[in-house]
Amino acid sequence: MLEVRNITKSYGEGRTRVTALDNVSFTLGKGKLLAILGPSGSGKTTLVSIIAGLLGPTSGEIVIGGHAVHLRTASQAARFRREKVGLVFQDHHLVPYLTAMENLLLVPHLSGRVTRTHRELADTLLADFGLTARAAHKPSLLSGGERQRVAIARALMNAPEIMLVDEPTSSLDTERGLQVVELLKAQVHERAMTCLMVTHDPRMAAHADESLTLIDGRATR
Amino acid sequence: MLALKELLGSKLKFSLIALAIGLVVSLTMVTSAMSEGLLTGMSGAKSSLAADALVFQRDTYPTLERSILTANDLKVIAATPGVMSVYGVGHTFATVGSAEEPFDVRILGLGDRFDQLPIVEGTGEPGPGEAVVDVTAKLQGVELGDTLTLTPVNAELTVVGFTEDRRYVMVPALFVSLSTWEDLHVASVLGRVEDEGGADAEAGARMAREFAGSASIAAIELEDGVSIADVEREFDGSYALATPADSARAGNGMPEMILAVGGIQVVSIVIGALLVGVFFYITTLHKTSQVAAVKAIGASNAHLYRELIIQITILVTVATVFGTALAIAAGAGMPPMMAFDPDPVRWATSVLAIFGTAYLGSLFSLRSILRIDPATALGRTEP
Ligand SMILES: Nc1ncnc2c1ncn2[C@@H]1O[C@H](COP(=O)(O)OP(=O)(O)OP(=O)(O)O)[C@@H](O)[C@H]1O
Ligand SMILES: [Mg+2]
Repeated sequence: MLEVRNITKSYGEGRTRVTALDNVSFTLGKGKLLAILGPSGSGKTTLVSIIAGLLGPTSGEIVIGGHAVHLRTASQAARFRREKVGLVFQDHHLVPYLTAMENLLLVPHLSGRVTRTHRELADTLLADFGLTARAAHKPSLLSGGERQRVAIARALMNAPEIMLVDEPTSSLDTERGLQVVELLKAQVHERAMTCLMVTHDPRMAAHADESLTLIDGRATR
Repeated sequence: MLALKELLGSKLKFSLIALAIGLVVSLTMVTSAMSEGLLTGMSGAKSSLAADALVFQRDTYPTLERSILTANDLKVIAATPGVMSVYGVGHTFATVGSAEEPFDVRILGLGDRFDQLPIVEGTGEPGPGEAVVDVTAKLQGVELGDTLTLTPVNAELTVVGFTEDRRYVMVPALFVSLSTWEDLHVASVLGRVEDEGGADAEAGARMAREFAGSASIAAIELEDGVSIADVEREFDGSYALATPADSARAGNGMPEMILAVGGIQVVSIVIGALLVGVFFYITTLHKTSQVAAVKAIGASNAHLYRELIIQITILVTVATVFGTALAIAAGAGMPPMMAFDPDPVRWATSVLAIFGTAYLGSLFSLRSILRIDPATALGRTEP
């Protein structure tokens, strides 16, 4: 269960001050995929970053499973992401010198030891996303869609409670994009995760369970 | 794991970095070894004398060339409380006139302590009329078994061995027994008289008598627990004394040269270390978005610091090994005259300085990356 309560976020000071989010509130239950729609610059990435604890809100609260996320220290937030959050960035942000498989195994590595179970999970996820033949490739050798899928598979490595996906389909054609969304949705339902998926494409949003539109930092359902 | 994978992932890039740092290491090593070689060339024969202290005639310190100790002086010094043993060291100027290009040398008489000379060729025990010669004389064509004619004294010395790092004021030292030195010394003083109308036999005989058993300075060893200051007090101003190292650093323009050489060494270490520090600051800063991405998926700051330290350690270690090997190879290719003289302490100083600034530069850089919020850092484009 994710609760976003009256989140406001401003960047900068004085004349360069930008209000990226303006009093945004919503709740999202387990096993639900929420699409966040909105034009460029409407605050979508900012919202995802705040929920992930990568960024502090100017005001407002984020509550996940009864715990206030926005109050954590940087190291608590890092641990929270390591254990509970699956993050997919707008530009994949795979580690360039690691292969697809190693990028997946990086997640358990950051929490301690990489075990046989982790390797099996990574194999399964790569297979689920049709990447088995690409496991030993570095990101620079993968196509845009493959990278995006590796990034989603990596986000699933820690069996997250909450999955935050920023524009997973931006670099894909509609068909490929819809496939990725379907894959994501299946995983969300199967694992009973709470998932936010940012997109600017209403066709992708139509496949989500719920949707929310941001315009100039304000949310409408 | 990450640190090593990244190094192996871009071998060319990191080889170039290691090459650059290696060159800095070898540069600091070569400049310091060469400048140290300059000092050895100036006073190696003096500073390396085996003794706790060198004793000079009153008012002649630090000028070895001016000091004269008579046989009686040497007896007085030997009898001074706290002095365990004494041997005389004689000095005189000479020119090897028999060489194709005549060259200057310094004759050093050693009273019975030839075991102190490191021998690189031949023997270390010259008999009467024989000499152990600093190896740099080879550059002038001197070889083992050669007989050198010294001018203007018109004496002959046979080369029986070569030693090293024993130059004085940039010319090779010729080590002879104290009695051979005595003959050469008297002859060198009388030589001029002989030239101008024949030697005054009477003066010559008198001078030989006066100089019998003499030396220029005395090298002494002290009894356990006795300090130089103790002996100085016993001498009460009749003689001057100092350690070989201290007296080698005095006179002949040495203080000025030491300052200049020290300046060169400090500047090369400071610039080298700064370069490496700034370099790592920038290369680490270049990884901002990469670091932010790993942090965003949950890496703790401690983990990121640890990986960076491992990476820098590997990189700088490889660079140091390479740079040191390069400097030693360069040293091996230098003529003995340059007296390339790498010293472990100075090597360690420059390596430590480079490690230090490499860590400082990169950690400082990582700290500034970790201080900006990860969301913003993620947006910073990768190089
Ligand atoms: N670090 C920052 N400093 C200042 N302003 C920022 C910063 N990050 C974002 N902004 C501003 O906040 C607003 C929202 O940005 P955000 O990245 O959340 O938009 P977005 O909806 O994700 O856009 P896009 O669809 O292009 O990715 C924009 O006007 C942007 O210029
Ligand atoms: Mg965005």
